Amino acid sequence: MSEKEQGHSEPIWNVDEFLERIDNDQVLLRELLIIFKEDFPRTMRSLESAVTSQDLKSCARLSHTLKGMLSSLGAIRATAAAAKLEALSSAGETPSLQTALKALESEAESLLPELDAYVAEVRR
Amino acid sequence: MKILIADDEALSRRLLEKTLDRAGYEVIAVENGKQALEQLCKPNGPRLALLDWIMPELDGPGVCRAVRTRTEQPYAYMVLLTSKGSKEETVLGLESGADDYLTKPFNAEELRARLRVGERILLLEDRLVEARENMRFRATHDQLTSLLNRGAVMDLLVRELHRSHREQKSTAILLGDVDHFKRVNDTLGHVVGDEVLIEIAGRLLKSVRSYDFVGRYGGEEFLVVLSNCNPSYAPGRAEEIRKSISNRPMQTAKGPLTLTMSFGVLLSSEWGQKPVEELLHEVDIALYEAKAAGRDCLRMAQPGAKVEAPHEMMPQAVRRRR
Repeated sequence: MSEKEQGHSEPIWNVDEFLERIDNDQVLLRELLIIFKEDFPRTMRSLESAVTSQDLKSCARLSHTLKGMLSSLGAIRATAAAAKLEALSSAGETPSLQTALKALESEAESLLPELDAYVAEVRR
Repeated sequence: MKILIADDEALSRRLLEKTLDRAGYEVIAVENGKQALEQLCKPNGPRLALLDWIMPELDGPGVCRAVRTRTEQPYAYMVLLTSKGSKEETVLGLESGADDYLTKPFNAEELRARLRVGERILLLEDRLVEARENMRFRATHDQLTSLLNRGAVMDLLVRELHRSHREQKSTAILLGDVDHFKRVNDTLGHVVGDEVLIEIAGRLLKSVRSYDFVGRYGGEEFLVVLSNCNPSYAPGRAEEIRKSISNRPMQTAKGPLTLTMSFGVLLSSEWGQKPVEELLHEVDIALYEAKAAGRDCLRMAQPGAKVEAPHEMMPQAVRRRR
């Protein structure tokens, strides 16, 4: 498992827990992934420009939205990264935003291939 | 049962929608607090709601506060969805008027169980409202005929007279009395007497428009109020109402029975702004005249006219008319 290789205790995506929450509905899972793949990159782009322009209010709102969609999906580590960014934005910690954004981006980079891999595997 | 979901984030919204759809709810999903409030304020809108805390336009607690300012609509059971977890925020959410809160990501089973709590509360409210409505009905309606009782019909008449005076329209007041009703009770019994009163109530109601009203004024006396009644049509309409009683026999336990009624009729526009008691006294005099003229007819109350009858024979006591 990649999370173990990276030394994290939490999985990138807890698919079992997620499937349990949606009563093992594979059709719904695919539908939610389609929504995610459309909304997540768009919200990330808005967040990146909010961090660049140091717009704390937008940073807090957008990272909150990302936290919501990531936690609904069961993407535990990315949820934590988004939560941290939200907390820093709300606390006005402007200097730490860039680092927190990088951490979230890095989590997203690990998450997206996992989602794709799952869909590919189910299709097979 | 209808349930509202308000969440600006599409994935969570879809997840909730599907979970609740599966649980048998009729789901209405919106993406901001303003739309949520619109839905909750609609007549027959959803009474169960899951509201995300942070939303554009109006946040979850804002929706709760706005909904709680309504007093006329039925209770709405609102659950706030939050990823927040601090005690202060929980208190803030509940203080805003929310009934419960759930932390995201939610567990489907817990969500369903919490919504069942909401349904129980709503059911309790429905039962209380029903009990109150029953009490209100009993307080304002005659038990036998289900018509408005004397108190209720008098209240409505006072309001109607104010309105007709303000709008310079005429209201027709008809006071009717069943002819020889005592004979029905004496010869056929009270059960038949009651049947007759119920039948008369039904016929009177059928012969008026939806915005007119009919009440049981006393034992066998009925008050009919015709709103916005053109004075030139009033006698004709009163005749139709009178004939609706006499035109065909009533079916009773002791066989068919043909009965008649006498009516006194008064047009409010001809009397200026007089107290309701005075108008009722005048219409009572007209009813007395109809009785004196042989019954089964109507007489119009005439402003300024004097009834030439000994004072002791003047109306008020119903028993004299039978």
